[in-house]
Amino acid sequence: MDFTKDLVDKFAKDLLIGLTPEENKMVLDEFKVIESGMDKIANIPNISEEDVMTHPLEYDNVSLRDDLSVRELSTEEVLQNAKCKTEEEIIVPKVVM
Amino acid sequence: MESVIRILKNANKEQLLKKTLEKVHDNQELCNSFVTIMDNAKLNPESDSVLSNIPYVLKDNYSTKGILTTGSSNTLKDYIPPFSSTVYEKLSLAGAIMVAKSVMDEFGMGGTGLTGHTGIVRNPWDTSLIAGGSSAGSAASVAAGVVPFAIGSDTGDSVRKPAAHCGIVGYKPTYGMISRWGLLPFASSLDHVGVFARTVSDVAIVVDVLKGKDEKDMTTWDSSNINLEAHLNDSVNGKKLFYFKELCDISFYENPSDDLKKVIEEFNNTINVIKRIGIDVVEESFPKELLDAIPSVYTCISCAEATSNMSNLTGIIFGPRETGNINEMIINHRTLNFSSLIKRRFIIGSYVLQRENQEKYFVNALRVRNRIVRLMKEKFNNYDGLILPCSASHAPKIHGTTDVIRQDLATLENHMAIGNFGGFPSITIPNGMIDGLPIGVNITGNIYDDENVLAIASHIADSMPYEGQIAGDNK
Amino acid sequence: MKLIPTIGIEMHCEMKSFTKVFSPARNTYSKHANNHVSEIDIALPGILPSLNKECIRKSILMASILHCKLPQYIYFDRKNYYYPDLPKGYQITQSHEPIGVNGYIDVPYNDGVLRVDIHDIHLEEDTAKIEHLDTESLINYNRAGVPLLELVTDPVFHSKEEVIAFLEYIRSIYQYTDISEADIRKGQIRCDVNISVGEEGGPFGTRVEIKGVDSFSNIQKVIDIEVKRQMDLINDGKSSSIEQETRRFDEANNRTIRMRGKVDAIDYKYFVEPNIPKIKLDEELVKEITSNIVELPLSRMTRYKDLGINDDVVKVLVRDRKISDYYDEVLKCSVDPIVLSNYVATNIMGYLSKKNIGIQEFKIEPKDLGLLLNKLQKKEISSKQAKEIFEATLNGDTTILKELDNTATQNSNTEELDGIVSNIIKNSPKQVEDYKNGRTNLFNYFVGQVMKETKGSANPEIVKDIISKYLN
Repeated sequence: MDFTKDLVDKFAKDLLIGLTPEENKMVLDEFKVIESGMDKIANIPNISEEDVMTHPLEYDNVSLRDDLSVRELSTEEVLQNAKCKTEEEIIVPKVVM
Repeated sequence: MESVIRILKNANKEQLLKKTLEKVHDNQELCNSFVTIMDNAKLNPESDSVLSNIPYVLKDNYSTKGILTTGSSNTLKDYIPPFSSTVYEKLSLAGAIMVAKSVMDEFGMGGTGLTGHTGIVRNPWDTSLIAGGSSAGSAASVAAGVVPFAIGSDTGDSVRKPAAHCGIVGYKPTYGMISRWGLLPFASSLDHVGVFARTVSDVAIVVDVLKGKDEKDMTTWDSSNINLEAHLNDSVNGKKLFYFKELCDISFYENPSDDLKKVIEEFNNTINVIKRIGIDVVEESFPKELLDAIPSVYTCISCAEATSNMSNLTGIIFGPRETGNINEMIINHRTLNFSSLIKRRFIIGSYVLQRENQEKYFVNALRVRNRIVRLMKEKFNNYDGLILPCSASHAPKIHGTTDVIRQDLATLENHMAIGNFGGFPSITIPNGMIDGLPIGVNITGNIYDDENVLAIASHIADSMPYEGQIAGDNK
Repeated sequence: MKLIPTIGIEMHCEMKSFTKVFSPARNTYSKHANNHVSEIDIALPGILPSLNKECIRKSILMASILHCKLPQYIYFDRKNYYYPDLPKGYQITQSHEPIGVNGYIDVPYNDGVLRVDIHDIHLEEDTAKIEHLDTESLINYNRAGVPLLELVTDPVFHSKEEVIAFLEYIRSIYQYTDISEADIRKGQIRCDVNISVGEEGGPFGTRVEIKGVDSFSNIQKVIDIEVKRQMDLINDGKSSSIEQETRRFDEANNRTIRMRGKVDAIDYKYFVEPNIPKIKLDEELVKEITSNIVELPLSRMTRYKDLGINDDVVKVLVRDRKISDYYDEVLKCSVDPIVLSNYVATNIMGYLSKKNIGIQEFKIEPKDLGLLLNKLQKKEISSKQAKEIFEATLNGDTTILKELDNTATQNSNTEELDGIVSNIIKNSPKQVEDYKNGRTNLFNYFVGQVMKETKGSANPEIVKDIISKYLN
């Protein structure tokens, strides 16, 4: 894949992030390194036959939570770090569908 | 070596706390180790707990109810959690006194200690050097003798590398032995709670307090049959360690630096010491292409998980509220408050997860992770642990150190991520000096084999003169 | 050439549980906002999911009912996207390994059965609720983290009637099994409708998805509107302008509106949730869960029809599991199944709808109704008495019902009744004379007098015999 400035900006936009031109350039440089690293990985012998490791450990029995006890924050605690709020709700600029 | 914590058990705790807070301020002046200093910290009623009224430093990515928790990020510069991490709760319950919360690389995403929102952290051995990261302030404060222990977190080597740079002990137990509830995540499948201290005994004592199954963290497991401190003096005669020829044989390096030569020389000295106490050390080979792949695999997995983990940072429920319509508001929050490094990591993480790239990047990285871990476990069938130098040099200069991703192949800088890939118990102990600056050696064992790994580390540390050292004390 | 629509459904239904699926906050309704919320539900930094056992049980139950293949390991994925109602910036769901795949369910349809193929069913979490005001929006996180079951069918439906029959039936299964209240008025069911139009027997047409339709009546409207839109385009020779896209229902203007096309499709960057370990599915647990499946409506319908109950009454009986359960309980008292079915469908349902209450608030216990109907059947009580007892009990007077076994039975003691009749005859010389002179309708006068004397408890047949003996 050819990495371009525009492509990097699009990736950033998808993540709701803005980049300065310098940052964009740094990402481009890093992409080149990663690309070459990942090419090497793809060429490791028989790598496609290897299992995928998503968790470091396997568990014999995972305890699930019993649907019994309740732990909740007070409404005050829910809202305590929000900058814009009513008595009960968090306010955001109008969400348009 | 005897535990500092045990020695302090009978100290005058009021004087200890007062003196510790003075040292906290001195260290802040010298190293900029702290985001928050608890000047009003109070003594607890003295109890039988080994940690009763023992002061400690907590990395600022552990949630502390009612106390600022920033992750050294501007996105959380005023965030006060309404709940506490399990680590903080357990330490509080044991009567330990948190005297400060320490500076780190923003959200743990870095290895320098230079990217925290309150400024760079300096190494107490030489303030022109980095302390290493991401748990920079925790490492610097233990190395400077401010506190007998500090809590860090380790996703790639964020406890074990700064421990080496600061000449102290840094240990992360098997994945899931300590609850991550309330720990601000970097990459959930690699994140470990870790502990700094100046002796192996001290990290054992602290982890014995912290460990345990936690219903709030589904990845924890029952470790009630493990007692680290009790097994520290178990005989290690006949134990076997191995190291990678590809990383420790100087002939594998094209243009080895003087520092690297010295590191390897010290490593060989250490091996001789180890052999003298009855532990066998064997040179082993590991596929070069897998060692070369470690940085790419780590970048790929950690950035992908981080991107997702930090998608909650929008400024809606917490964090600075920025202006604009709903979309602009979130973009502004993330653009203005994340450091450049983080933003770049997010883009990489998102890129490797994209539908059309996921197989080549993310999924392949998970496959290499599996192969590395599988081969390591095969080795652990024959060996008690892997031993390697932690770094190719002592702590580098602040000036000139960056966290830009470079074409790093197999070097001594990346291998400790193996411990995170497999969730292996892994400990750094100091093993020498280069130009008057400390270096460390790392021992990594099989999952659930923490008692064995710590006993080996304890015996090795006992047979060298570096355990317990404090930066600035004249040797 | 005939054009036919092909429809697939994604049905999201809120599950019933005490606490949420990944947090220990209550899963309930509240007139206040943000009062059933944990750290997890608002994605405070450092939270971890904590999986609710009950939600897993209910998911396995539903997957089994749908004849789905269960996975060897249960695990979850993150679906990553940004929206203000999604606090974590990802939804925990099951993409790689749903709790059930490749199943089917037989749905009662017209007078037969429609087999619907199920692509998969999976467990996930709901989002927060956003209230839109003029210039700003308000967020309430009570709904964030509520368990959702998403059921995905293959594209197997060809009419809105089939779709509705399926949805109604799934809804009744959810209610029968207590997996969900499946209450549409509470917004517990939301559907995505996939529609394509193609030539009969030919390949499918281009698929259009209409997202977030929230009532069965709107689903019918959406199907009508979208099928017509696509058919019109095809008939106008513009089939190429049907695009694979996502649309939504514009209720006010009775149309569907484009949201985004295929090229703008969101890439959710799914990956396995690292904070929930892989859970080995225990066969014993599955056995335990599936051994207690309640009898489903289709099976009950078949059973009732076999008893000779007519189809309309059968439908009334199975619409609500509690009615059907009530019926089955009374049936155990060996009453006539058809008499009972009519009694339940007419008298009881009539009463419930008049009072606007559910059967759980109905005051006559099944065994008491059984007793009442048995006495009536054996003519030990009159239907008038039965009606009086029914009403008195419902009005809160349960004493008569309680004494039904002893005192409310009909008085058939001939000797005792003979004495009463003889007294009445003795005290009514005028009426006796008039009767004998031809006013035979006075016979009923004497019966009435006996009934009055015995407070209605005399067996009328015996009374009539005795009166005839005296008068003739």
